[in-house]
Amino acid sequence: MKNIVIGRYVPGKGFLYTLDPRTKIIALLLLMAGTFIIDELIHMVVAIAMIGIILLIGKISIRRVYLGLRPLLFLLIFTFAFQILFNTQGELLYEMPLYYSPLTIGLVALVVVTWMLTKKYIRFKLIYFLIMVALSLFIFSTLNEPFVFGQGAFTVYEDALQMALFIMLRLIIIVTLSTILTITTKPTDLNLGLESVLKPLKIVRVNTEEIAMIISIALRYIPTLLDEANKIMLAQASRGVDFQEGKLKEKVMQIVSLLVPMFIISFKRSDELANAMEARSFVPGQPRTRLHQLVWKTLDTLVIIFAIGFLFGSIYIRVMV
Amino acid sequence: MAIKFERVSYQYQSIDKRGYLAIEDVTLSIAGEGEFITLIGETGSGKSTLVQHMNALLQPTEGRMNLFGIKIDKDTKRQKKVKLNPIRKQVGLVFQFPEYQLFEETVQKDIIFGPRNFGVSEAEAIKRAKEVIKVVGLDESYLKRSPFNLSGGEKKRVSIAGILAMEPDILILDEPTSGLDPMGRNALLKVFNDIHEKLNKTVLIITHDMNTVYEYAKRVLVMREGVLVYDGDPLQLFSRRNIENWNLETPEILKLQKALQSKFNIEIDNYPRSKKALFEAVKEGVKQ
Repeated sequence: MKNIVIGRYVPGKGFLYTLDPRTKIIALLLLMAGTFIIDELIHMVVAIAMIGIILLIGKISIRRVYLGLRPLLFLLIFTFAFQILFNTQGELLYEMPLYYSPLTIGLVALVVVTWMLTKKYIRFKLIYFLIMVALSLFIFSTLNEPFVFGQGAFTVYEDALQMALFIMLRLIIIVTLSTILTITTKPTDLNLGLESVLKPLKIVRVNTEEIAMIISIALRYIPTLLDEANKIMLAQASRGVDFQEGKLKEKVMQIVSLLVPMFIISFKRSDELANAMEARSFVPGQPRTRLHQLVWKTLDTLVIIFAIGFLFGSIYIRVMV
Repeated sequence: MAIKFERVSYQYQSIDKRGYLAIEDVTLSIAGEGEFITLIGETGSGKSTLVQHMNALLQPTEGRMNLFGIKIDKDTKRQKKVKLNPIRKQVGLVFQFPEYQLFEETVQKDIIFGPRNFGVSEAEAIKRAKEVIKVVGLDESYLKRSPFNLSGGEKKRVSIAGILAMEPDILILDEPTSGLDPMGRNALLKVFNDIHEKLNKTVLIITHDMNTVYEYAKRVLVMREGVLVYDGDPLQLFSRRNIENWNLETPEILKLQKALQSKFNIEIDNYPRSKKALFEAVKEGVKQ
């Protein structure tokens, strides 16, 4: 539970850390918009190269970004495979015959069973999985035995490959950008920036301060609640709840035994917090001053100019080229 | 020995890889019956982490332990063969805050939750609930009430009853008397003492109250910054001069004894255990 990387601040140095949170939020939005406007693979490659340069200058380790991407690996592979399998437009690039015979199906079933049985013990599950998929394809394509049921083909078309890479790169860019934002910005700063960026909404009578306060309290309490959940789990485990095992009915009971104390504690905590805030003269809706004021620097202006340039560049390429 | 620790260390994991060493190199053993132990130490000295090892909620990151014949070390978690659940029936652990475990609609349902998890029949579990609710000093009418409408002290008693109903061999309580009034505290300590004396079970209590340690415990463990610095007789602990170095207080009775000694200039038999014993000792001293 403690390995949630998305949305976690990682202390560090580099120019991205010194940027104003407002700059980072606005730049993120501009860059994302730009990424959505790009519609050619080659331009997308240029865009990702730029992101790579930003990472390099910002001294953010690729490993961190990868950790942020990891929860999306499944989605990435899925979209990739989906495109390759079902998109049949453009030129045919590659064709592989597949023979569906009792022998090959049996062998592949064996591969699947081996995968199910051994995956527990393998550390690099993803690579292992890919090896198994490749092995299955290899079996289907090479063993041309007499008891043939039927024959198919594994084909890769040009558009499919382009589309697959394109979507993958776009997803990677978007997630990387948001990961950069959350890695380099403290939750409190992020919240300050958000409040500031949302200020124009005040004209349409949206209470931005309250929204910002709600977000900052929510962010503040995530680790506390995780900690609490952990303690509740231990307390229930010492009363014989085995969270690893159990049938469906027991599982439901286990979750109830976790959720009820969780809710009770959260309500109690919010009550206490409200009292504590009132005791320190917090009045909702009153204008408040800040201890740490956001300061706009030249670097921020440069970054915004770069982001606007990126957006207009991609619009220009889309429209003119 | 029912519980055996061999050079056990535990490191909490954190983002910055280094982690936080909560307990370090602890070696101790606890018998499955007839012990009354108190565990003391400052907040953050690793007391709670230590007792969470005793029913295998946590597994050591270094060293080995043996709980009722089940060997546990840092590799145990990965091997799914080892069943840890049975240990928790034998070693009952009551957490400091009852809010973490109460969740049922009625007190009775909450008390039978533990025993039911360990395969006790419903009828038998309800019978036990009726017994243990009286043991912790509440009456049977509480069984029908909601655990969330009780006072802090009552919640605490219910949570203790929930563990007692599992009939563990070793009962471990994490600060069972915090937040109770003095009357309630003494009553509850008597309960633990009864469980220890009448049923000959091992009781281990985490406490900050030196009077509890001095009056009830036969053995005391002192934790300091994750290290077990003392394991032995409470009398010897308090006769040492440097307990202040461990930020421990002298029990009231010993303070009173010292005061009497200096005021009346009499010899008093060393280290009386209770008020009564002190009174007798003073009588002896005056006679002489």
